[in-house]
Amino acid sequence: MRHAALDALCGEYLVGTLRGAARRRFERALREEPLVAQRLRHWQGNFTPRYTPMIEVPPSPQVWTRLEKTLGFRRARSPWFRRGWAIAVAAILVVVVGLQLARQEPDGVLIAELAGKTATVSAHLSRDGRTLVLHSDRPVIAGPQQSYELWLLTPEGGVMSLAVLGSLDTRFEVPERHRGRLRGQLAVSVEPAGGAPGGKPTGPVILAGPIRI
Amino acid sequence: MLDDRAIKALLLRTAARDEGSAEAFRRLYELSAPLLLGVAQRVLARRELAEEVLHDAFARIWHAAGTFDPLAAQPVAWMTAIVRNRAIDVRSSHDVSRVDSYHAAVDEDPEGSLDRLFEWSPAADEGEDRRRAAQWLRDCLSKLTAPERQSLVLAYEHGLSHGELAAHLKKPLGTVKAWVRRGMAGLRGCVEARMGQS
Repeated sequence: MRHAALDALCGEYLVGTLRGAARRRFERALREEPLVAQRLRHWQGNFTPRYTPMIEVPPSPQVWTRLEKTLGFRRARSPWFRRGWAIAVAAILVVVVGLQLARQEPDGVLIAELAGKTATVSAHLSRDGRTLVLHSDRPVIAGPQQSYELWLLTPEGGVMSLAVLGSLDTRFEVPERHRGRLRGQLAVSVEPAGGAPGGKPTGPVILAGPIRI
Repeated sequence: MLDDRAIKALLLRTAARDEGSAEAFRRLYELSAPLLLGVAQRVLARRELAEEVLHDAFARIWHAAGTFDPLAAQPVAWMTAIVRNRAIDVRSSHDVSRVDSYHAAVDEDPEGSLDRLFEWSPAADEGEDRRRAAQWLRDCLSKLTAPERQSLVLAYEHGLSHGELAAHLKKPLGTVKAWVRRGMAGLRGCVEARMGQS
């Protein structure tokens, strides 16, 4: 019975009768409260029927054309003289930014960039493969009841904990069994203080990104 | 039938924001847009508004791909929720519910539509868990009372609010709210009991 009220909200959210301010409150809780995200995942996994193909309606081609424009996938080519300038400016920027990066880059190789609403976090692996350094573009620290947990999502579908974190700016030793075997994705979830109790993620994932080695 | 694994891979590739992201997103659109337009059209009953919602929802999916939960087993459900919520919002703002053609489009046979609209026996390659979950859900839906089941299906399929359900079913608001609430609680109890036994 402990979850009865939360379950009622999850159910009404999925069926679509949770509206207006109540829905926005629920969506905020979904981002911030691990238990809510976990419970909704249970509902989505077990109570969402899948549509048959009979419901499908092919969209008119204009929808995609508009979408390309909205998202800036298609840019009109500018005249050659402006392009020349653009290339020159870009070249200067590359040099300047390159110099900046060379100065700021932590030791090691950039293996992943984790993107999310909260922040963007870069992950550098030391040359010897033993230390992972996370650097966030904004200072993000877990609340008193929370920890962040970094997960390795392997290409085979495995989910393994790499570290429990108090902040997104940190460095830690890569567990021995994962050294030289970091492949797939990295993801950070919000967990109860001390990390996910069952060794599997329970809270909302706030950051994720593919590993490029 | 959309393959959740393929959709998930495309969503993660979209979220990666690398040179392959735009192409992954285009493929994601090709595969899932017809289903999602169908979902929007059931809520809005008007093609031009449904296409508007499809455009907005995919723009949102492009921007929100980074917040997609890589652990979620059903990425199609994630995208469907974005489309359905957007369609519901557009419907409230356009007051589509007052357009006469809308009422004609609401399913008069929600009981029958359960088996026409939804897939209850997923293909064998989708895994035993998925097959079992679908079967439990279908069995448990049939154990609800007819008005409870009808309210849930109408709300889910057409995005009807409590007020619209009450108007459509010609029952007091409180009665309809109780049907939805009891229907969901009944489903939860029934499905979880089966999970516990398996």
